Amino acid sequence: MARIIVVFNKKVIKEYPFTKDSLAIGRNDSNDIVIDNLAVSGLHARIDKSGDIYILTDLQSTNGTFVNDKIIASHKLQHKDKITVGKHLLFFAMSQEEQAKIKVADLDRTMILDTAQHKELLEKQAKEKGVEALSHKQMLGIISFIDGSRKGEIKLTKKLTKIGKAETSEVRLGGMFMPPTAATISRRPNGYALTVTSGRTKVKVNNETIKDSHFLNDFDTIEIGSCKFQFFSQESEEEL
Amino acid sequence: MVKLRASGISDAGLQRASNEDYFAMDTARGLYIIADGMGGHSAGEVASKVAVDIIQRNITNWMKKEVPKDELFDFVDHTLGRMGNYILSGIKLANRVIYEMSNEYDEYKGMGTTIGVLAVMPSTVISANVGDSRIYLFRGNAIEPLSKEHNMAAEQLEMGLISQEEAKNSPLRHILTRNLGSLETVNIDIFEIEPMDKDRFLLCTDGLTDLVSDEEIMGIINQGDDLEHICQELINEANERGGHDNTTVSLVYIEQVEDERSGILNKLLPHFTRKK
Repeated sequence: MARIIVVFNKKVIKEYPFTKDSLAIGRNDSNDIVIDNLAVSGLHARIDKSGDIYILTDLQSTNGTFVNDKIIASHKLQHKDKITVGKHLLFFAMSQEEQAKIKVADLDRTMILDTAQHKELLEKQAKEKGVEALSHKQMLGIISFIDGSRKGEIKLTKKLTKIGKAETSEVRLGGMFMPPTAATISRRPNGYALTVTSGRTKVKVNNETIKDSHFLNDFDTIEIGSCKFQFFSQESEEEL
Repeated sequence: MVKLRASGISDAGLQRASNEDYFAMDTARGLYIIADGMGGHSAGEVASKVAVDIIQRNITNWMKKEVPKDELFDFVDHTLGRMGNYILSGIKLANRVIYEMSNEYDEYKGMGTTIGVLAVMPSTVISANVGDSRIYLFRGNAIEPLSKEHNMAAEQLEMGLISQEEAKNSPLRHILTRNLGSLETVNIDIFEIEPMDKDRFLLCTDGLTDLVSDEEIMGIINQGDDLEHICQELINEANERGGHDNTTVSLVYIEQVEDERSGILNKLLPHFTRKK
């Protein structure tokens, strides 16, 4: 079993065995490890046990949490790590058995962080860097007809939007030589891609004929046969 | 119809006694699944196998019976067709089972798995994933991800907190933000594209992508047409660089897509001589 040894002014104050899956550290009495010092936040940090691994997470404390004198947001604890919380030192010690296990388990082992924990961590880092935490909003692609034949816009909410004459097409186009599916727009990890699916109809993006696939940028003009529309994206209301 | 060829290998690597990866291939149905389990003792092996089996069995069953999408497990995603919903539902079901198992039995406590599912059909290709196992598309000379990585480093990168280079070497890339088994519900990323002749797909676990870059993977894929050989080459590459983790690769090639989408001209034109 791992232990946390709390040291203040070079004196050992108390030793806590790791008997639960998670130990909370802070000034409030509700914590597992209570440190009564004004430099310590009410709920300051937490250590979670996940399999054979212990993860220390700073809970957006006012004065920060340090491991071996470096400030951390989250840290995988090693045997003999020195954690600094306010003016108190917490030494992390694993049993010999656990140390041996860790060596076998190797350091590249994958582990999982629960959602609340990782959101907390990312939000904190975003705040520190002054980055607005906006990228968790999805961008939604929209096509807007500019050929006069059809008014309005079509939102590309589907993963795959088929464009052509077929009744099942999300975007139905007319015209003598229009195939059932002339092209598709798919929502992929790297963005929206336009793909030509039939060699019979000319597909142009910004006046250049394309074959295969083309990743769409805002305000690209797309021509399929005699139909013309523009692509753009905007922030979607739905959260990821 | 879509003509497919596929091959896959799972390898324990050089430093681990057991293999917690698992995969399944059903070329008749165009269904491919890959999983990388985690958890103490042998729980990781259990999680990946349970996930793959449940997903394969249920999707196959639903396909056979052509079950309507509103009769599936959990709610329907109306932006997707029937097959997309089969895949989502199968993954959600597997998540629930692993979650229940890990809460019920001490030996399974904390177990989980990543998942990657690829379905290749005449009109669409669907890819879905949770965790850091990947699905790639190789089309022409380009490599493109059809999966999202759910780890801390990838999320930091997406939020603009770190650079691509930092993400590649970050120790946080091993900290998953989603998997199957740790929560009662799971968020799944799913993508649909149109199949094209000569498209190639690779499903793989992080044993490969940790050690071999996208460009290097593409170099090996481009070596030829012998799928079994290429799979072995990918495994060898990971093992030559330490093989610290289990590695699983599964390759799928589309020989030819034949469908109805090209319309009347396509049916008529072969009757006339036509210069390309």
